[in-house]
Amino acid sequence: MSPNLSPAARDVLLAFADDEHMIGARHAAWIGLGPFLEEDLAFCSIAQDELGHAISLYEYLTNDVDHFALLRSPDEYRSSWLAEWPCHQWNESLVRHWLYDHAEALRWSNVEHSSVDGLGMLAARAEREESFHRDHAEMYLSRIADGDDQGRQMIEQAIAELLPVALGLWDPVAAEPDAIAEGVMAASSAELEARWSAAVTADLDRWGFAYSWPTERPAQSGRTVRSCHFPELQASLQEVIALDPTATW
Amino acid sequence: MRTYEVFLKKDGKDEFRHAGSMQAPDPDMALPLAREAYSRRGEGDLMWLVDRDDILSAQPDLMAPNSNKPHRHNDGKRVAAHRKSLREGTTT
Repeated sequence: MSPNLSPAARDVLLAFADDEHMIGARHAAWIGLGPFLEEDLAFCSIAQDELGHAISLYEYLTNDVDHFALLRSPDEYRSSWLAEWPCHQWNESLVRHWLYDHAEALRWSNVEHSSVDGLGMLAARAEREESFHRDHAEMYLSRIADGDDQGRQMIEQAIAELLPVALGLWDPVAAEPDAIAEGVMAASSAELEARWSAAVTADLDRWGFAYSWPTERPAQSGRTVRSCHFPELQASLQEVIALDPTATW
Repeated sequence: MRTYEVFLKKDGKDEFRHAGSMQAPDPDMALPLAREAYSRRGEGDLMWLVDRDDILSAQPDLMAPNSNKPHRHNDGKRVAAHRKSLREGTTT
């Protein structure tokens, strides 16, 4: 835990940490269920990377990562709805992985020169893993783009479902202007969103997937409101710790 | 899907060793998937993939004649005994 962290820095790191935690947990649900063994291993490796990032970020905020990560009340989380979304189908998980990792790369590079101690180093380490994550997503989607109609349609369905949810990634926490003024992060969420939209639409146009850019956004209210899927997600995350919250591992 | 044989090597004088096999749709996808399947804990610094179709595989008929040639095994015992006897001045 970093006792000197400002409230604004805490809010920004919390939103990032919760996103990494939820996306890592959602990706990890594919353990043993991936479309083929090698992909199962690769995707769960990615899940583990994201959970590792979450732990590193939570360590700025608490001395007891397990309790903090799992046992807060829902209104104390700051995750985006995209990270909470179930994506029980492989096409949905794949599209979410691509949307999220484009955003994640921008978020790490946005804190490369952060005023928060050690965050720049963490960002550099994460970026080495993230370049594999982006290559992985692109590898799949570009091949499906060159494939048959059925695959293309399934990807287009997932894009239609998830693009509107994904915009919530750029819903800033209330303290974001203070965090920028303090040098915690460089660009605002709105600026990152513009770069992200450009990258995402460039991919979609290159691959020739049909889409319409969403006009509505998730009602996350500065990330203070959880999606309807959060209770189920949190219950599954708490399954083990609930057996004995005082146990040490 | 294609099947690949995976070989890993650590830094230094160790040779490439067969780590196992895996499947991937094409060579470009095979490399990262093989890394995650066989070297996600850093088991190798270098990796080779060989498409199984590119392997020359000998038929058992070719191999069979050499399966029982004990005279080609030299465990060194007779040479060692001879050298020992010379050292100790006894003859065998």
